[in-house]
Amino acid sequence: MKILVCIKQVPDLESRFKPNTAGTWYDEADLAFRMNEYDEYAVEQAVQLREQVGDTAELAVLSIGPDRVVEAIKKALAMGCDNAVHVQDLQAATRDPWQIAGIIAAFARDKGFDLIFTGMQSQDRGSAQVGVTVAELLGLACATTLVGFSFDNGTITAKRELEGGVKGVVKLSTPALVTCQLGLNIPRYPTLPNIMKAKKKEITVIPVAEILKEEALATTEKFYPPAKKGGGMVLEGDMGDLVDKVIGILKEKTAVLR
Amino acid sequence: MESTREIYWNIGHGVVAPMYLFALVAFGLFARGFWQRFPVYRQGKPLSRLDRLPERLLLMIRGMLTQSKVVRVVDPGSLHALFFWGFGLLFIGTLLVMAQADFTDLFFHYRFLTGGFYKLFSLVLDMAGLVALLMLGGLLVRRFLVKPEGLETIRDDYVVHGLLFAILLTGFVVEGLRMAATEIGVNPSLARFSPVGGMFGQLFVGMSSDDLSLTHKFLWWLHFFLVMSFIAAIPYTKLRHIFTTSANYLFIDLGPKGALATINLEDESAEQFGAAHISDLTWKDLFDADACTACKRCQDRCPAWATDKPLSPMKVVQQIGEVARATPKANLCETVTQDVLWSCTTCRACQEICPANIEHVNKILEMRRNLTLMEGAFPGDEVRTAINNLEVNANPFGLAYAGRGDWTDGLDVTIMEQDSAVDILYFVGCYASFDKRNREVARNFIRICAAAGIKVGILGKEEKCCGEPARKLGNEYLYQMHAAENIETIKGYNVKRIVTTCPHCFNTLARDYRDLGLDVGVEHYSTFVANLLTEQTLKLRPEPFEFTYHDSCYIGRYRDIMDEPRNVLRQAGGRITEMEKSRYESFCCSAGGGRILAEEKLGSRINIARAHMARETGAPLLVSNCPFCLTMFEDGIKTGGCEGELVVRDLAEIVAERITT
Repeated sequence: MKILVCIKQVPDLESRFKPNTAGTWYDEADLAFRMNEYDEYAVEQAVQLREQVGDTAELAVLSIGPDRVVEAIKKALAMGCDNAVHVQDLQAATRDPWQIAGIIAAFARDKGFDLIFTGMQSQDRGSAQVGVTVAELLGLACATTLVGFSFDNGTITAKRELEGGVKGVVKLSTPALVTCQLGLNIPRYPTLPNIMKAKKKEITVIPVAEILKEEALATTEKFYPPAKKGGGMVLEGDMGDLVDKVIGILKEKTAVLR
Repeated sequence: MESTREIYWNIGHGVVAPMYLFALVAFGLFARGFWQRFPVYRQGKPLSRLDRLPERLLLMIRGMLTQSKVVRVVDPGSLHALFFWGFGLLFIGTLLVMAQADFTDLFFHYRFLTGGFYKLFSLVLDMAGLVALLMLGGLLVRRFLVKPEGLETIRDDYVVHGLLFAILLTGFVVEGLRMAATEIGVNPSLARFSPVGGMFGQLFVGMSSDDLSLTHKFLWWLHFFLVMSFIAAIPYTKLRHIFTTSANYLFIDLGPKGALATINLEDESAEQFGAAHISDLTWKDLFDADACTACKRCQDRCPAWATDKPLSPMKVVQQIGEVARATPKANLCETVTQDVLWSCTTCRACQEICPANIEHVNKILEMRRNLTLMEGAFPGDEVRTAINNLEVNANPFGLAYAGRGDWTDGLDVTIMEQDSAVDILYFVGCYASFDKRNREVARNFIRICAAAGIKVGILGKEEKCCGEPARKLGNEYLYQMHAAENIETIKGYNVKRIVTTCPHCFNTLARDYRDLGLDVGVEHYSTFVANLLTEQTLKLRPEPFEFTYHDSCYIGRYRDIMDEPRNVLRQAGGRITEMEKSRYESFCCSAGGGRILAEEKLGSRINIARAHMARETGAPLLVSNCPFCLTMFEDGIKTGGCEGELVVRDLAEIVAERITT
């Protein structure tokens, strides 16, 4: 059984985002990067399946981006993926979902993957289009927003999270693609022996130009923070001081005491 | 009349051959008992504990003879010490008798147990016997009548107490019988030198000489066999501690306190990290179990045990011993249980007080390493999150690493990236960098330095967590990752002197980073400020205040820094009321050992217990000098209902308020 899990490296959401000089995306300076949260669920589920199937299974991890994404790839390898593909692409952050899906589909088309895992969406762009588009391009059965997964003899039973807290269960047979949602599992913490083993696992590097054949369907025009609305004010200190401060503010900024 | 006695009186010299034969059997059993334990110790990994041998021997002899570690707990330590000295003198006395009767007299017809020396010998042994008997009586009462809480009595205790009591009693009775015949009424001037023996002798005055002779013979042999049983029983009962605990004084860890073996992460042949089995510990860890006398001093001081958590350091050590002897293939972490292992705050109170030099903390940490590095286990999901945060943003809060230097707004602090020509590098740490309450400590520390004219640099966003909480949770990999990055950054700036406000950063940089190549002087600000005051670089305007002081584990027990912070506070005008548990006996705030990242779900809250101890002093102010302690006490005062009665402040805040400009 051949399994593929697609992961993205994203900036940590606590980071300070500033628009880049072109104003079309964020500036990468001072950002901390990590594996997209939803992709961690995807990796965990793929590794669990890999363990369930045993040695006849082969699990590959794929990520698109500059060299920094190798960190995320290494984590996936340490969690239990067998080998990796790094599609080297300095422009990955600005590509639209159609191009990203195109890259993945181009890579996976002739590889005979039985099952592809992706995250439900990325934490930065959040389009939630890549997984489903890959399924469409490759003609795979597809189920999204998985919060439950089981596999038996070529049949996937997937529990999906639907709107309003409703869950649905679907069955699909391989080859298939599933996208993973929070609640599916608790991603494992890589053990040290696995981190060491991961260092020796093969990472195939493919320059993006070799497999990207699609033009972008949508371009990102502008990136900016929402306009600041008047924020709240939190006063702290002694009661007496607080009273003085409140009176001061009321006098200064309102007509209440005039 | 001559002042001596006939050795083997009423027994005859014919006894020598059978006596030595029986002694040989006893010593044979003794040797066999210990011999059988060697394979148990050999299951452990090698560890060098015989380097600097003269120093070790001296420590051992001093420790044994002075009983200094035993008497630190006066009751029952002083009883043990007096018993030890009494019994030791009796042992020496017996050796002297043996030396004269079976050696000097036999071969050279030389007797030294005569005259004045014999009188002294007689009196000293008589008194030694009395002291030993009385102390044993006291220990018997403690063991079997007024049992202190937590004291566990096993078969060994009956054997040991019974044997020792019988030996001392029969010794006096045999002496009394002999004195009734040879001294009382015959040589009263000599009898005076055995007052206790004489009292026993009075019981037999008037006994027919045949009866007396028979009773004496019988009891002499009984006494002899009791002593032989005692020798043979040593390795098979708690009595083994006479040798194993003494040996542990020889095997003492001479390294810096709190050092933990740095794992070689480059070693690709390593398949096991931490301790899953007995064979992953060192022989010393297994030997420790044999040196334990179950005195429970560790347990009495363990903050986890005191707050109804399942951890008892004593039981962990004993469990390791049981596994080593009975089920060496068993999984240690499963035997000890995760709840026990995660409960430890690494406060070192157990190790500090242990009269047997047992090293509790690192055993727990080695088992934690196995849990973390081999099984990816966490004490709770909140810790999983914190560790993930550490991996991404190098702080447990998960806040943007780029904001690490934001606390300096408006202060004169140099960022090393811009200018590395500074007097000191202030290694700020995660809490003082990001935690609102602790940022005040950092800001006040900067004010102090400014007043003393010291140019302070910080690494700002280049600084990472020192790695201590992760390391103490067993995550050596994450620790070394951050340590390597910090060391490279610090070395890059050619730093000469580092000051920390966090005791955990302090210990880590000063001691643990050395293993990874950092060789720069590191100080904690409590000694740094104390020096500024001594040099008069910093001057304070004392304002009177009442306070109590909490010794942070990693400043006090780990670093022996106890007077300096107290002196600083005194110079600031403070009058201290000590808590009952202070200095080496200080009670942890609950946050050590990585527990700062974990919720305290078992038992009651340690920080509340400590806040209550501070409140009991009546002082309205609790001063600490550790960000973890400050955080825990802010919480403990609120949740423990001490608001309005007690506030907690950091030493830096007290000092900064009193700077003269």
